Amino acid sequence: MMRAATLRALFHAASAGALHDNPGRFFLALLGIALGVSLGVAVHLINASALNEFSLAVRGLTGKVDLVIRGPRAGFAEELYPKVARLPQVQAVSPAVEIDVPLSGSSDRLKLIGIDPFRMAMIQPALLAGMQNQITDLLDPDAVLLSHAAADWLGMKAGDTLRAYVGTTSIELKVAGLLPPSAYRQRLGVMDIASAQWRLARLGRLNRIDLRLHPGVDIAAFRHDLATLLPAGVIVTTPDVEVERSASVSRAYRLNLDMLALVALFTGAFLVYSTQVLSVLRRRTHFALLRVTGLTRLALVRLLVAEGALMGVAGSTLGVVLGYGVAAAMLKHFGTDLGAGYFDAISPALHVEPGALALFWLLGIAFCVLGATLPAIEAGRRAPALALKAKDEEESFKKQRAMPYGMALIGFGLACTQAPALTGLPLLGYLAIALILLGTILILPWLVAVLLPRLPAPRFPPALLATAQLKASPRHVAISITAIVTSFSLMVAMLIMVGSFRNSLDHWLTRVLPADLYLRAARGGETGFFTSEEQARIAGTPGVASVRFLRSQNLLLGPDRPPISLLARPVDAGAAHHTLPLTGPSRVPRADEPPPVWVSEIAADLFQYHVGDHIILPIGGQAMRFTVAGIWRDYARQTGAAIIDRDLYIRITGDTLANDAALWLAAGASLQQTRQALRERLRGADGIDIAETREIRATSLAIFDRTFAITYALEIVAVLIGLFGVSVSFSAQALARRREFGVLRHVGMTRREIGIMLGCEGIWVAGLGVGVGLALGWVISLILIHVINRQSFHWSMDLHLPWLALAGLAAALVAAASATAVWSGRRAMDRSVLSAVREDW
Amino acid sequence: MLAWLAGAFVAPRTFAQVTSNQSPVTSHSFQYPLEGYQSQFAPVVPGYQLRFPRDEGSHPGFRTEWWYLTGWLDVPDGTKLGFQITFFRARLRLDDVNPSAFAPRQILIAHAALSDPAFGRLRHDQRVARAGLGLAGASRDRLEVWIDGWTLHQVGPGYRASISARDFQFDFTFAATQPPLLQGVNGYSRKGPDPESASYYYSLPQLKVNGALTRNGKAQSISGSAWLDHEWSSRYMDKDATGWDWIGINLANGGALMAFRMRDRQGGRFWAGGSYRSPDGVTRTLGVQDVVFTPRREWRSPRTGTAYPVSWHISAGALAFEIEPLMDDQEYDTRLSTGTIYWEGAVRALQHGKPAGSGYLEMTGYWRPMQI
Amino acid sequence: MLTIRNLNKSYAGVRHRAVLCDIHLDLARGEYIAIMGESGIGKSTLLNLIAGLDSPDSGSIKLDGTEFTAMDDDARTLLRRERMGFVFQAFHLLPHLTVEQNAALPLVLGGGAPAQCSQRTHELLGAVGIAALAASYPRELSGGEMQRVAIARALVHRPQLVLADEPTGNLDPDSARQVLQVMREQIKSNAGAGILVTHSPTAASTTDRIYVLTAEGLLPQ
Repeated sequence: MMRAATLRALFHAASAGALHDNPGRFFLALLGIALGVSLGVAVHLINASALNEFSLAVRGLTGKVDLVIRGPRAGFAEELYPKVARLPQVQAVSPAVEIDVPLSGSSDRLKLIGIDPFRMAMIQPALLAGMQNQITDLLDPDAVLLSHAAADWLGMKAGDTLRAYVGTTSIELKVAGLLPPSAYRQRLGVMDIASAQWRLARLGRLNRIDLRLHPGVDIAAFRHDLATLLPAGVIVTTPDVEVERSASVSRAYRLNLDMLALVALFTGAFLVYSTQVLSVLRRRTHFALLRVTGLTRLALVRLLVAEGALMGVAGSTLGVVLGYGVAAAMLKHFGTDLGAGYFDAISPALHVEPGALALFWLLGIAFCVLGATLPAIEAGRRAPALALKAKDEEESFKKQRAMPYGMALIGFGLACTQAPALTGLPLLGYLAIALILLGTILILPWLVAVLLPRLPAPRFPPALLATAQLKASPRHVAISITAIVTSFSLMVAMLIMVGSFRNSLDHWLTRVLPADLYLRAARGGETGFFTSEEQARIAGTPGVASVRFLRSQNLLLGPDRPPISLLARPVDAGAAHHTLPLTGPSRVPRADEPPPVWVSEIAADLFQYHVGDHIILPIGGQAMRFTVAGIWRDYARQTGAAIIDRDLYIRITGDTLANDAALWLAAGASLQQTRQALRERLRGADGIDIAETREIRATSLAIFDRTFAITYALEIVAVLIGLFGVSVSFSAQALARRREFGVLRHVGMTRREIGIMLGCEGIWVAGLGVGVGLALGWVISLILIHVINRQSFHWSMDLHLPWLALAGLAAALVAAASATAVWSGRRAMDRSVLSAVREDW
Repeated sequence: MLAWLAGAFVAPRTFAQVTSNQSPVTSHSFQYPLEGYQSQFAPVVPGYQLRFPRDEGSHPGFRTEWWYLTGWLDVPDGTKLGFQITFFRARLRLDDVNPSAFAPRQILIAHAALSDPAFGRLRHDQRVARAGLGLAGASRDRLEVWIDGWTLHQVGPGYRASISARDFQFDFTFAATQPPLLQGVNGYSRKGPDPESASYYYSLPQLKVNGALTRNGKAQSISGSAWLDHEWSSRYMDKDATGWDWIGINLANGGALMAFRMRDRQGGRFWAGGSYRSPDGVTRTLGVQDVVFTPRREWRSPRTGTAYPVSWHISAGALAFEIEPLMDDQEYDTRLSTGTIYWEGAVRALQHGKPAGSGYLEMTGYWRPMQI
Repeated sequence: MLTIRNLNKSYAGVRHRAVLCDIHLDLARGEYIAIMGESGIGKSTLLNLIAGLDSPDSGSIKLDGTEFTAMDDDARTLLRRERMGFVFQAFHLLPHLTVEQNAALPLVLGGGAPAQCSQRTHELLGAVGIAALAASYPRELSGGEMQRVAIARALVHRPQLVLADEPTGNLDPDSARQVLQVMREQIKSNAGAGILVTHSPTAASTTDRIYVLTAEGLLPQ
């Protein structure tokens, strides 16, 4: 054991100088780790805050409830409520109407909950205590009480008017006041249940009943009995399952973000690695002297690892603080919605999990130690005499032992891609990517050694020298390109994935938007509908050749599953492939089979539906049997969707309302005139949107691009880190090759020629890295598309290589890397190298 | 007697609108045909002829209404307890055109309390619900009012109350031993100098109580005597009144005394009234000048710091009684449901120190002045 | 051929001191001289100034009548590439180039045709006696062999002036003797001039004339 004082002295002797010599580089590496850690911390904190807030908010909705009866959007008949209330096991019941209303004058939605405050008080006395003076206000049929989050968000106060679309018109609600701050955390408004039923066109319907049972009632057994009383499609569940189900929708998305953050941290470790390689090189003779004067190999390794750990502690601490700040700022200014819209109705405070922060802190340090260990071991292994004589560096790098391990990792990774999702998450898919990435890094030196001799020998002297230099130092090249390969491959993978997705979405939009004009009520919100009379008026508008109306509802298929969408529209069973973006063959049910349903691939994945299956869907409170006639691709409804023929839907439910209309124009009719005519015929219906197909396409693609904006930001970080790796590596080279540059200057090479030589080296190295990265990125993109995305979100897409973007990026990266190489090697061009030839240690 | 509680519950604002005879105006984009639309609450006017059992039922055209049962119970072990069961009905607004089954046309509130000297203070519970969907309501034709499992209804010639509270359960029957006692002038009972400030009001004193009382999971059969007040009004309290004292006593000789006074801001008498029915059935209505409440002893609540005159000297016409509580602490905290604290409890009536009857005393407005 | 007049050079620093003071030197074509002197007297500085790697405070250095000190760095570099050759104490061969590539470096940089470069290089490697090692890498050579490669590199492009800074400092006496002999032969056969900076009287004795650098100037011995 080394005593602390000895270690300190040693540190002083061996390390302080290095820091003093080049504080800039040291801090850059520190910043790299800090960046990785902070990204991880920020993403995690934002997600954790969102999730925590979300759970609290969902819990706040249900209160101290034993069971929750929940229906789909269309709800269930209110007669269920007294029936349940009278059950002897039930101590208290609280009915509710829950609906998201589109607000007029903005593009936002607000959740409105109609409650019976008297009933709610039995379950949530605390809530009522805070609302004591507001209950009378609440009973006013126009009154809505806003949560603080909603009031802040809408910029409203008591006395203001809230306008929302119902049907095709807008209603006005009076903001009677704000709910107590403790009441609800999410953006929502509370109305009296009677007002909600009436004003939001939900007469006779409820969505939810909360139950508290008498003490001693066996909840599970009662739940089972209660389930048999409920209409089809109405479920009874526990609040925990409610919270779980609400959170489950965003689970895969959150995992994706966490993984991206981990990648940043992983890349950060390369920085430490290359910085340490550089710093060890620089102090090579120094260490040799220490070794000669009696420092043991182990002590040297320990010293260097300690340096890495120290850098890790500093970088990690900085990263945690930075990440915390970023998260706080993000939450303050942008909310928790990281682009996917999962958490847009809550405005959480920063929720800090000390455990998670500690984990990221330790992870940062661990990555640093790992990054420092490899150069440390190498430094320890080097014979002092050799180092003293300043012999060729490649000497000790000759052996390539890692190759078989790398191959094994890649093989294992490829095998992992065949595994199914674990607990609904593509964990093995991510493992596959990690393994393939790691494996590739391990085989890089071998790969480089194989590829380098194939480099052509140019005649231009600087290029010739560059080529000779690279051919002679595969190990250095491998180190230089590791960071590029890693970051570029991930970037390529994301680019291909996003490109494929966007391309598939574009094709899909073409398939699902065949008409000329589209109408929707209440901006497609839950309260929107066209009455039969309005439908007739639309169909009879001059210039309209044909109309297809669509009714949209949702169905609850299980307590732990989010509801799936039910779309009722005219479908010709025999020609479904003409109207639906089917992924496979369709099948017309035989006469003795139940009527056809076409399910989205998400629904098919989640519920294991296959073409030809007979399935049960709870429509209009009845369990109806259907034959799965086809599976279609759907990028719009993430929790799954099913399409049935609208005539059948009307027969089952008697519901003749429609949410959307697709219009085909008569020959010769102009879009503009028809729009005008529709507006006139639907005068007063200010809640109707009329859009042309291209507008919808443009909006959809814009939303898509916004969703992926965050990934672009992460990619830029990754690329910067990759370039930093190049810089560090070339700085190291410039340092190790000072005498060589000195000789070249003596022999008559100009500074420019040396710059060109370095530039050529940069181009070769980056070109190699980009090439390998491209190949690796392609493989990873396949995993992203066919494994990660499929298992996370259950949607398929067609591979689409954005060649132009890839080529442009590759060229840009090579150019940037080359510039970086020249910049990093600028020391090789200054006067000091001239004296290096006479340095004699 | 807790009419103002219901009033407070349904909000000062609405109340103010109603008292100024304005129907609240709201704008609706949906217009539904109105059924039984009234431009104002039914007024209380002199000359109305009360009929039974019809008038035992609810009067939804009026703003507030209550059925108020108080009494003394004899438990087998010899102890005496006080109990109170109240159902309030409050009508919120007049132009309620909302077709929803949940439309809050009528709000029902029920209170139940048990005074047990061995426990030292009240045990009580409450229910609030909007009428509708069969879960809560009040019949128009006969006495039948309920919130979930809490019920008070006519059974044969008598009544039955079934209350399942947190700490106790009542399952009592009440048998009338006397005809209804119409208060005021044939049931038209004024509450202030303004003739519109009045109620329809009758009492059923000397009710015989039988049934079961469950405490701590143990049921005991009980007997006793009770008093039922049924009162409905659209404008109960004058805006200058701040609270009241009310007492109803079943006299040991079979007679019955009801006396009340409304207090003004200075704590003095704003209005007063009452009635006395002698054992032989002759009723004498007491005027403002006939009723004098004189406090004898105050008790201060350790919880709220409010002082209540729990012991009184009351003179009602020719009669005079000393009033002593069954126990001092019968303070009733209903802030959670109705937002106020008052004193409501079993009392003994004494004449020259000798027991003369038992009844209930209610004192409001001592905690905080009532605000409208 | 090389004419140095009134050359002065001092270094600003903690100890401001004049290193070179009023140096005069005339070197004719075919002449091979040695410069000796105490450590730190400025031998290397003088060599740097002659090579155009550093600028004097005052004075003039002319190579074949071209004033050196007035040129910019690139011009001096090109001049150096064409007209000078260097031999260092630590050899300084490029480790990733073969013996032949190392030796051919000045020719390649000068843009010579590959065939001619190759012929000339082989010729010179033969002359310094290591033709058999042409395809070897520096790390496979002994010190003496490496210095022969360095001499070949210094002379391959027929420079007018060869500057050798303690070329035998890292060699055993036997190798040193051989290297000095080879160097003299090559400088003479190339009809260029040579300056050998050394501490060793033995080494110095292989030259035509010996100068001693002192604080007072460069004095003939």
